[in-house]
Amino acid sequence: MESKVLTMLVPMATEGLKVTLGVFALTLIMSLPLAIVVAKLRMSKNKIISKITGIYIYIMRGTPLLLQLMFIFFGYYRVPLIGYPFSRGQAIVIAFVLNYTAYFAEIFRGGINSIDIGQHEASLVLGLSKTHTFMKIILPQVIKNVMPSIGNEVITLVKDTSLVYILGSSDILKAARSVSNVYAAFSPYIYIGLVYLVIIAILTKVLDKIENRYDYYR
Amino acid sequence: MVLTVENLSKSFGKSMVFHDISFSVNKGEIVCIRGKSGEGKTTLLRCLTSLETPDKGSIKINNMYLCREENSQIKYAQKGELQAIRQEIGLVFQDFNLFPHMSVMENLMEAPVFLKNDSPDNIRKRALELLKSLELEGKEDSYPFQLSGGQQQRVAIARACMLNPSVLCFDEPTSALDEQTRGQISKIIRYLSSEGISIIIVTHDNAFADEIAQRIITMKDGKITIQEQ
Repeated sequence: MESKVLTMLVPMATEGLKVTLGVFALTLIMSLPLAIVVAKLRMSKNKIISKITGIYIYIMRGTPLLLQLMFIFFGYYRVPLIGYPFSRGQAIVIAFVLNYTAYFAEIFRGGINSIDIGQHEASLVLGLSKTHTFMKIILPQVIKNVMPSIGNEVITLVKDTSLVYILGSSDILKAARSVSNVYAAFSPYIYIGLVYLVIIAILTKVLDKIENRYDYYR
Repeated sequence: MVLTVENLSKSFGKSMVFHDISFSVNKGEIVCIRGKSGEGKTTLLRCLTSLETPDKGSIKINNMYLCREENSQIKYAQKGELQAIRQEIGLVFQDFNLFPHMSVMENLMEAPVFLKNDSPDNIRKRALELLKSLELEGKEDSYPFQLSGGQQQRVAIARACMLNPSVLCFDEPTSALDEQTRGQISKIIRYLSSEGISIIIVTHDNAFADEIAQRIITMKDGKITIQEQ
C-alpha cells in the first residue's frame, strides 16, 4: 500500500514542487525590489502619492490573499484598464507579487525610518546626491535592520504558495490531496509536511548566512 | 575674508532662533561661538553648512553666496553652485555621524570619489596621509564601532578634510571627550588652522573656548552680544 502511495506521490510531488518553488522564487525576485520603491512612494512628501500607496497597502493587507487570487483571475474584467483575461500563471504571480510587495514595503518603510537622520545630514554635507545616499549609505543599513522581519515573511511565503490550488494549479499540497483521495490514506500529507520542513530548513540556513554577512559592523 | 555672514535671521514658525547675526572669519582663524544651550548656536552652524535655510541675510564663502538678499528677498544658491559651496565648508557633527557599515578608508573616500575630485588612487593616498597626520595610522580597515570616541572624532575630521574645505565647523567637539582626548583635539584644531583652514567651533565649554579661540563670539537670546579677540 505505502509503496503504491509513494509511486503515485513522487512524480506528482516533483511536478508540484516546480509550482511551489516557482511561485516562491518569482514572488521574491519581483516583490523585494518593488517593495523598496513602494516604501519610498509611501514616504513621499507628495501627499497624493503617499495616500494612494497607503490605500494600495491597506487593500493588500486588509483582504485575504486567497480572495486576491480569485479576484485577479476571475474578476479581471472588473479592474479598469485591464482588457484581457490573465492566464492562471499570470494571475498567481500578479496576486502574490502585489500582496507580498505591500508587506515587504511596510517592513522597508520601518527600516528606512529607523536610520538616524544624522546619516542623511552627513551625506548631504559631504555633497553626496540623494540617490547615492540612499543606495550606498541608507539602504545597506536598512537591509541589515530588516533582515529578521524579511526572513519571517519569506518563510510565510513558502507556505502561502499552497493557496494556488484555488485557481486549479497543482503544487505539492495539491499532490498530497490527490494521492490521499485515491488511496484513502493520510500518509501523503505527512510526506509533504516533511518536504515543507526541508525547504524551510534550507531557507533558514540561507537567511542566517545573509544575516551573518551583515554582522561585520554594529 | 573666507566667510562673511551678514544680517542673518532664522525662525522656526513663530519662534525666533537668532536674529540679525553678522560676523566674518579670516583664513586660518579659530573662532568660537559660545552660549548656553538653546541660544541658536547649532542652528547657526546648520545654516552655514546648508542643513537649514535662513530666512534673511547673506552667507558668503570664498566669494560664493550660499544665500543673499536681493530686493529684500532671500535667494539661495542653485544646485551646481551649492555643490561647490558644500565642498568649501565642512562639518564635524557632535556625534560624528560616521557611516557604520563602511571602514575608515571607505568613510574617507566615499565623497571625493563620488564627486570625482581626483583619481581613486590619489584620493587613497591623500586619505592615508590625513590618517597619519591625525594619528590614525593603521586604522584604515577598522570599522567605526571598533574605535574609541576620540578616534571616531578624528575620522570624522579626516572625512571632512578630504574635500579640502576652506572652513571647518565643529559642533560641540568636547562634549564626548575626556581630558586627554580634549588636549588632542585642541592640538589637531591648531594644526588645521596652521594649514590655512578657518575653524568655527560651537561650544558651551567656556574653558575650551578660552584655551583655543583666537576670537570668541557670544550668543544670547539669538543675538551676538560680545565679540572678543
